[in-house]
Amino acid sequence: MGLKRVIKSRELTVSLVMIGLVIFFSLSSKRFFTANNIRNILLQVSSIGVASIGMTMIIITGGIDVSAGSILGIVAVVLGKAAVGGFPAWLAIILGILVGLALGSVNASFVALLGIPPIIVTLGMMSLLRSLTYTFLGGRWIASLPESIRWMGLGKILNIPIPIWLTIILIAYFSYFMKYKSLGRYVYAVGNNIEATRIAGVNTKRVLFFVYALAGLLYGVAGAIVVGRTGIVQTNTGNNFELQVIAATVLGGTSILGGKGTVFGSLLGSLLIALLSNGLILLNVPALTEGLIIGILILGSVAIDVIKNRGEE
Amino acid sequence: MKKFLNLMATNRSFFLFIFLIAMFLVFSFVIPEFSTIYNILNMTKYGVEIGLLAFAETLIIISGGGGIDLSIGSILSLSAMVIGVLAGRLGMNIVLASILGLIAGGLCGAVNGFFVSFLRMPPLIVTLSTMYVYDSLALLIAVDKWGNPMPVSNFPYGYFFIGQQTYFNIPFQVIAIFIPLALILHFLLSKTTFGRYLFATGNSEVVARFSNVPVKKIKFSVYVIGGFLAGLAALIMTSRIASARPDLGAGLNLQAITIAVLGGTNIMGGEGSILGTLMAIVVITALYNGLQLAGISSIWQVGTLGIILIGSAIANIILSRKYSSVE
Amino acid sequence: MEPILKAKKIVKNFGGVKALREVDFDLFAGEVHALVGENGAGKSTLIKILTGVLEPDSGEIEYFGKKLVLKSPREAHEAGIVAVYQEPLVYKHLSVVENIFLGNEIKKKNGNVDWQRERSITRELLKSLDIDPYFIDEPMGSLSTGLQQLTLIAKALNYNAKVIIFDEPTAILTEHEAQRLFSIIERLKEKGVGIIYISHRLEELPQIADRITIMRDGQVMGNFDMNQVTREKIIELMAGHTLIEELKRTPPEYTDVVLEVRNLSKKGMYQDIDFKLYRGEILGFSGLVGAGRSEVMQTIFGLIKPDSGEIIINGKKVNVKDPSIAMKLGIAYIPEDRGSQGLFKALTINFNVTIPIIEQLTKFLGIVDNSREKEIATRYLKWLQIKAPSIYTLVNNLSGGNQQKVLIAKWLATSPKILILDEPTRGVDVAVKSQIHNEILRLADSGISIIVVSSELPEIIKLSDRVIVMHEGRITGRFDKKESITPTNLLNAATGARMVYSRD
Repeated sequence: MGLKRVIKSRELTVSLVMIGLVIFFSLSSKRFFTANNIRNILLQVSSIGVASIGMTMIIITGGIDVSAGSILGIVAVVLGKAAVGGFPAWLAIILGILVGLALGSVNASFVALLGIPPIIVTLGMMSLLRSLTYTFLGGRWIASLPESIRWMGLGKILNIPIPIWLTIILIAYFSYFMKYKSLGRYVYAVGNNIEATRIAGVNTKRVLFFVYALAGLLYGVAGAIVVGRTGIVQTNTGNNFELQVIAATVLGGTSILGGKGTVFGSLLGSLLIALLSNGLILLNVPALTEGLIIGILILGSVAIDVIKNRGEE
Repeated sequence: MKKFLNLMATNRSFFLFIFLIAMFLVFSFVIPEFSTIYNILNMTKYGVEIGLLAFAETLIIISGGGGIDLSIGSILSLSAMVIGVLAGRLGMNIVLASILGLIAGGLCGAVNGFFVSFLRMPPLIVTLSTMYVYDSLALLIAVDKWGNPMPVSNFPYGYFFIGQQTYFNIPFQVIAIFIPLALILHFLLSKTTFGRYLFATGNSEVVARFSNVPVKKIKFSVYVIGGFLAGLAALIMTSRIASARPDLGAGLNLQAITIAVLGGTNIMGGEGSILGTLMAIVVITALYNGLQLAGISSIWQVGTLGIILIGSAIANIILSRKYSSVE
Repeated sequence: MEPILKAKKIVKNFGGVKALREVDFDLFAGEVHALVGENGAGKSTLIKILTGVLEPDSGEIEYFGKKLVLKSPREAHEAGIVAVYQEPLVYKHLSVVENIFLGNEIKKKNGNVDWQRERSITRELLKSLDIDPYFIDEPMGSLSTGLQQLTLIAKALNYNAKVIIFDEPTAILTEHEAQRLFSIIERLKEKGVGIIYISHRLEELPQIADRITIMRDGQVMGNFDMNQVTREKIIELMAGHTLIEELKRTPPEYTDVVLEVRNLSKKGMYQDIDFKLYRGEILGFSGLVGAGRSEVMQTIFGLIKPDSGEIIINGKKVNVKDPSIAMKLGIAYIPEDRGSQGLFKALTINFNVTIPIIEQLTKFLGIVDNSREKEIATRYLKWLQIKAPSIYTLVNNLSGGNQQKVLIAKWLATSPKILILDEPTRGVDVAVKSQIHNEILRLADSGISIIVVSSELPEIIKLSDRVIVMHEGRITGRFDKKESITPTNLLNAATGARMVYSRD
C-alpha cells in the first residue's frame, strides 16, 4: 500500500544516490570512510541542516527566503561581539539566537501582515543586513573568541559533537511537529490551497508569521554553530549560505511551487551536497567543479520530477 | 495635491523622478562637490554595468510565470573570463575574443531559456542551479598552469577605450553603449511586436496562447537577451577595471533584481518599463555617489538599496490603498 | 412530517439581472430532491445561497424549524449543510485523512494530532459508505475524481451533515463510479440525510430521486414526486414556451463545404466527431456545459492536439498545430471565458483588439504602425458600438457587455472566413445580446461561415441554420431543418436520449 509511495519518494532516491556515492568514494579513497572524515561531513551538514528546517517550511507555504545567509551573518556578529565584550557564553548565544528570531519576525510581519511578496521582502532584508554586518565589523575579523563560546561548535556529549546532537534533535522534533501538530498540518494546507485553508477557519496569517519567524530563530542556531565551529566572525560569514540551504531543500524533494516536502528530505539534501563536496576533494577533483556538479544535480533532479509529473497528469 | 499623490502611486517613473529631485537637492546642499558637472558625468559610468543587468532582469521578470534570473551575475563572471582567457592567455585577437564573450553570455541565457520555456521548469530553480554551474565554469577556465584560478589582466592597450575613455567628460560606455541600448530596449518594449508579445505573455500565458502569441519563443528569447546583456556588461567591466576575475559578478544578480523591482517591474510579471528601470538606475547611482562623497562607507550602498526596496513596497501598498482611483 | 430545510421566497439580483425571483424550495430528511433546469435557470445561485457563499436580497431560510442566516461557507458547514462539487476542492498533496480533518483536527490531551483516531474514524466513515478504505494515507491528488468526491462525502458526514448538496456529481464519473455513488446516496438516505441532487442526466433521476423541482429563468416551474412525472413533461417545463424571435434570414445554399471534420477523437474529451460547415451558414452547437463542444472547437483552432481524425479546409487536409496556422487558414475562435482565456484585462482595448494581427500591422523591423493600429481599433470600437472613453481605456474598466464586444472585435479584426463563437453572449445584458446576434447574422450574410457554441437554447434556435447537439463528448443530435430545431428536440438530445436525427 504505502510501499509504492516510498519507492517513488524523493527521500529514497536521494538515499540511494548517497549510498552509491559512499560506496564509490570508499573504494576510491582510503581516507573517506574514516570516523574522522564522517564526523567532518556531519559537522559540515549541521548548520545547513538546521537552517533547512525553516527554509523547508517557508517553501512549503509557497514562499522563499533569500535573507537566510545575511541573518546568519548578523547573528554571528552579535554573538561574537557579545562574547568578546565579556558576556557569559550562554548569554551571548541566547542573544544571538534571539536576534535571529527578531529578524525573522521582521520578515514575517512584511510577508504575513502586509502581504508583500516574500522574494521582495527577503531581498531587501538581505541587502540591508549585509551592510549592517560590514558596519558592525568595520572590515575587521573577530578571531579572538573565548573558548567557551565555541561549545556550540566543538563541544561534545557522549563523544558526539554538539552540532550533530542539535541537528538530530531539531530534525526529529520538527519532523514530529509537521506530522503531529495541527500547525504543522496547516503549513502544508497553506501551500496547497491558501483560500480553502482560510475558509476552513485557519488563521493563515498566523501560520505564515510563525513560519518566517521560526526560520529566523533556526538561522540563529545555525549561526551559533558556524561561529563555534570556525571560531571566527568575518564580513563574509554566511555569504551564499541561503543558496546552499535552498539547494539542499529543493534537492530533498520540497516543491518550489509549494504544498509538499519534508524536513527530513531537506536533511538528506544537505547530506548529499556535503558528501559530494567532501568526496570530490578527497578524489582530488578540483574544488572548483563542486558548483558545477551541484548545479547539474539540482537541475537534473527537478527536471526528472517535472517530466514525471507531466506524465501523470 | 490629490492628483499628485495619485500620480505618485500609479506612475513609478514619476515617483522616482520626484525622489531623484529631492535627493539631488539634499545632496547639493550638504555636499558641495556633488552637483559639479564633472562629478555628475563621471558617476554615470558606475551605473552602466549594473544597469545592463537590471534591464535584463526587467525583461525576464515582465515575461511572468515567476520569471527571474539568479544566474545573471554568474553569466557576467563567465563571459568576463572567456574574454580574459581568450585574449590575455591564449593571445586571441581582442575583437574576436569579445565577440565570443558576448556569444558565451547569450548561450548561457539560452540554456536558462531552454529549461524555463521548453521544459516548463520554475525559473527560480533553473537559474539557481545554473548560477552554480556558470560560477564553477568561470573558476575552471580561470585556472592557470599551476592549477589555481587567477585573474587575467594583460589585455591589449586598445581594449581599454570601452571602459576608460571619455568624450567631453562623458564616459564612452555611457554614450556609445548604454544610452543607445536603453533606447533600443525602450523601443523594443514599447513600439514593436516583440514588446506586445512580451507583455501579453506576462499578463496571462493562457490568454496569450489563445491570442496567437508565440509564448514559448518569447520566454526563451528574454533569457537569451538577458544573457547577452550580461555578456556586454562583462565586456565593459573588464575594460574599465582592466582585469577579468571569476568573481566579477558575485552579488550583482540580487542587486539587479532589486533595481528592476524598484523601477516598477511587477515581480508577478506583465508590468514594467525600461524608463522605470532607467530611473531606478539613475536614482541608485546618484545615491551611491552621494553617500560616497558624504563619507559614508560604500558598504552602505547595498543597505540603502534594501531599505528603499522594502520602503517603496510599503509606500506602494499604502498609496494604492488611499489614492489609487482605478477601481 | 416537517421539512428540515425550507427556503422561502428567495430573491437575488445581480445588477439588473434577476437570478432568483421568489424561489421556494424544501427538503425532507432522508429524501433525494432533484433540482433541474437549463444553464442559467438559477440552480447554482440557489445552492450558493443555501451554502452561505451568497446572501439573498430577500427571503429566508428555515432549518429544523428555526430561521437560519448564513454569512459564510464555514457557518453552513457547521450547521450541517455541505456541498460536494463536480470538481472537488482539495489539498492535493495532503493525505485523505488530513483532507477530511483539516481545520477540525482531533487532538490528544498533549495537543498532538491524534492520527490513530483520525485514521480509524476515516476508515469507519468510508466503511459506513461501503467503501474499502485502503487509500486513506494516499495523497488526495493521486486519487481519481470519483474517489475524491467520495472522500468529500465522508468529510461531510464527519461534520455531521444533515443536508448534502451534489452539484452534477456524475458528469465526470465513469458508469461504474456513478453506480457506486448511487448506492452511497441510498445509504445516506437511510441515515436520514436530506440530499439535493443537481443533474443534467435526466435518465438517472428516476433511479435515485424522490422528488424533482424544475427551474427556469430564476423561477420554480414545477415540483413533483419523481414517479408522477414523465421525462417529456420535465423537458417541456425546462424549455418552457421560450419566445424565439423570428428573423428574416435566407438560408444559405449549402454548396461549398469550407470545413469538414472527420472522426475526430481525443481521449477524455470527445469521440468520433463528424460534421461539415458550409459557406455562409450558421451552425449551432448545442449541449450542456462540459459536453466537449469547446474542446472540439479548440482543436480546430490548434490549441488541443487530437488523438485521431482529420480536419479538412476547402477540400484540403490540414494539420493545425497551433493557432497561427489556424489563423492563416482563416479560422478565428472566440473563447467562452473572457477573463481567463479571452482578454488581457489589465491592458487597453487597443492592445487587446490588435494582438492577434499585430505582425500584419508593422512597418519594418517589427515596429508597430500606430496609426494603422489606432485606425483598426477605432473602427471596431465604432462598428460594435463599444462604450468606452477611448481605445486606450483598460478592459477592466468596461462593463461585461462591452468587454464581450472587445473580445468579438479582437477576432473580427483578423478578417476570418470561419468564425467560431463559444458562448458569445455569456453574462451580457439584453440589449448587447441582441446587438451581438444581429452582428452574427450580418457576418453570415456576407459569406462568413459561423459556428455558434451556446448552452442557451433561445440563442441557438434564433441564430442557427442547422444544429448539432453534443452530450458527454459525442454527437447525439443533428437537426438540419429549421422546423426541427425546437427546445424539446434539442434538450432531448442534450440530456442523453439516444441519437436523434432529423434529415430530409
